Amino acid sequence: MTDTVEREALSREQLLSAYRMMRAIREFEERVHAEFATGGIPGFVHLYAGEEASAVGVCSNLDGRDTIASTHRGHGHCIAKGVNVGEMMAEIYGRRTGSCHGKGGSMHIADLSKGMLGANGIVGGGPPLICGTALAAKLKGTGGVSVAFFGDGASNQGTTLESMNLASVWNLPAIFVAENNGYAETTSSTWSVASDNIADRAAGFGMPGVVVDGFDFFAVHEAARAAVARARGGGGPTLLEMKFTRYYGHFEGDQQTYRAGEVEHARAELDCLKRFAARVRRTGELSQADLDAIDAEVGAMIDEAVDEAKAAPPPAEADLLTDVYVRY
Amino acid sequence: MGDAIVGVVANPLSGRDIRRLVTQASVFPTAEKANMILRMLTAFEAVGVHRVLLGTDLGGISAAVFRALGRRRGQGGGWPEVDFLDGQPIRQTAQDTTDAVRRMVTAGARVIVCLGGDGTARVTAAAAGDVPMLALSTGTNNTFPAVREATIAGLAAGLVATGAVPPDGVVTRAKMLEARVGDRAEPALIDVAVSTERHVGTRAVWDPATLTQLFCAFAEPDAVGLSSILGQLSPVARHEPHGVTARLAVGAARQVLAPIAPGLVAPVGVGEIEPMRPGRVHPVDTPAGVIAVDGERELTFEPGEQPTVRLRADGPWCIDVPAVLAASARLGLLSHTGRRGQGNQGGTQRSLWRNL
Repeated sequence: MTDTVEREALSREQLLSAYRMMRAIREFEERVHAEFATGGIPGFVHLYAGEEASAVGVCSNLDGRDTIASTHRGHGHCIAKGVNVGEMMAEIYGRRTGSCHGKGGSMHIADLSKGMLGANGIVGGGPPLICGTALAAKLKGTGGVSVAFFGDGASNQGTTLESMNLASVWNLPAIFVAENNGYAETTSSTWSVASDNIADRAAGFGMPGVVVDGFDFFAVHEAARAAVARARGGGGPTLLEMKFTRYYGHFEGDQQTYRAGEVEHARAELDCLKRFAARVRRTGELSQADLDAIDAEVGAMIDEAVDEAKAAPPPAEADLLTDVYVRY
Repeated sequence: MGDAIVGVVANPLSGRDIRRLVTQASVFPTAEKANMILRMLTAFEAVGVHRVLLGTDLGGISAAVFRALGRRRGQGGGWPEVDFLDGQPIRQTAQDTTDAVRRMVTAGARVIVCLGGDGTARVTAAAAGDVPMLALSTGTNNTFPAVREATIAGLAAGLVATGAVPPDGVVTRAKMLEARVGDRAEPALIDVAVSTERHVGTRAVWDPATLTQLFCAFAEPDAVGLSSILGQLSPVARHEPHGVTARLAVGAARQVLAPIAPGLVAPVGVGEIEPMRPGRVHPVDTPAGVIAVDGERELTFEPGEQPTVRLRADGPWCIDVPAVLAASARLGLLSHTGRRGQGNQGGTQRSLWRNL
């Protein structure tokens, strides 16, 4: 006999929540894309549109005990882990009401109260962090699980590989989610990742590695559920590789001369929101009216977030020396 | 020997699904898939295959073969000409296998070798038409493809492709199953299972509690996968004309301990068992769920759609590797008794032995 993962059908509430989260990420990113073009947003933004099923499929298996570490493309992970959307938008606008009081911007949104350790401008910066939180959860016996999202570029970083080794050696409740969107900035992962499937690297660290259709919420949710159950049960770390396409450039302003046609194909044929909606309508689990209501609710939420962010003040001069040190 | 062309298609994603996580299934490295192709090239050359058509992929297999060919270039001999079937979009889905196999058939391949698991063999069979196939295992569940040394498979494929071994008795037609939901149909080479799951998800089936019906083209007692359930209760050999079907239920009085996936031996409740005759249409009586073909969830169905399953006698033509090499031995194709450099003085007229 071997371990099996008990599976229950997703409830109506879980399906509604999953769609709401994915729609919120999409609308958030589409709106940031539009607002960034007006020049109103300072700094860089890296958009997560197209990858929503990964963040939501993984985080919908997590709870308050759990922590995640994100990347420079972190808006989706923040929303999926429950960070306030209004505060996120304000942070991106550099406002005092933002998640980090407007001092971090898009690449540094964090909310420890939600278990969100932070977006991270360091490529491969997240995996070492979750080894720490996973070790803490293990030693304290909280049952908590830690998840590091990272990209195909970070999969080649020593920090990522060292973290997978450490997680395996210490048998940590850690999950490494490689979000392989095909390009590290402008470099194709088919060229830069020697093992081709990032998941293959798991074998070298003695952990399971699984390739998942990152456009399919149900596939991601199922794989993540198994990985979370394994981690909570003391089974150790897992590597999940999501394969998908980002809908926008590496950063806003990227001319994307390195690719052609794949975004149009993905949006038309593979889109996670379209596939989710088609599936739940077909099974009768949700109706079009259910989905329309969420679309309207999310649209209003994003409008409000943008309006409030624009109206909020920037940090004051007196704020320069606050939040510099943290006492543990 | 005419156009002795062999097509080779390898699935870069085989052996990568969730069964690594839930049942400790094996990992088959990309590098080994490429090495298997290289070992087959050596065998192809030895028996006179002069051209190989190789499917391309973004998983690194064809790239590794390409690099190996480059290193070999200029050293003379050893491998046949290899044509890469590029110039077509690579979707990184099963459609890539379908497209590659169809191009091989159109280009005149006499044999198609596929590297993958049961899923890859299923897709290859659907596209190969009447061209004989040889399925080599590099996947998760390997009931249809054989776990076999690629060099030996290459010799067998080559001997059939060149016509050195006639197909009679060594190339046999397999049975297959056809699952149908309205105008959607999927072939299966081994089994069709009905699950109460609502979504395709990660595709793999590893929870027997969700299964309500099972249809098997063949069910061998030593199989791994869903067909092992009936392999222990009502075995059916590959060469027998019929299949077997059963109802499955958690609380059934009859229980069997079955290896339903690599690393997963689970109790399964089995109800009524009956034979399947070719052509007879069997209804699926679960109101809604997913149909799994060869262990992978594929077709969803909703109330009122009434899926059906039937056994067909016209499955793919498959190469029997031991039979080919036994025929080769009888015919003396790989042997001679003369000294090196003196040709085939002591061998049979048909020997492929070449002067070294």
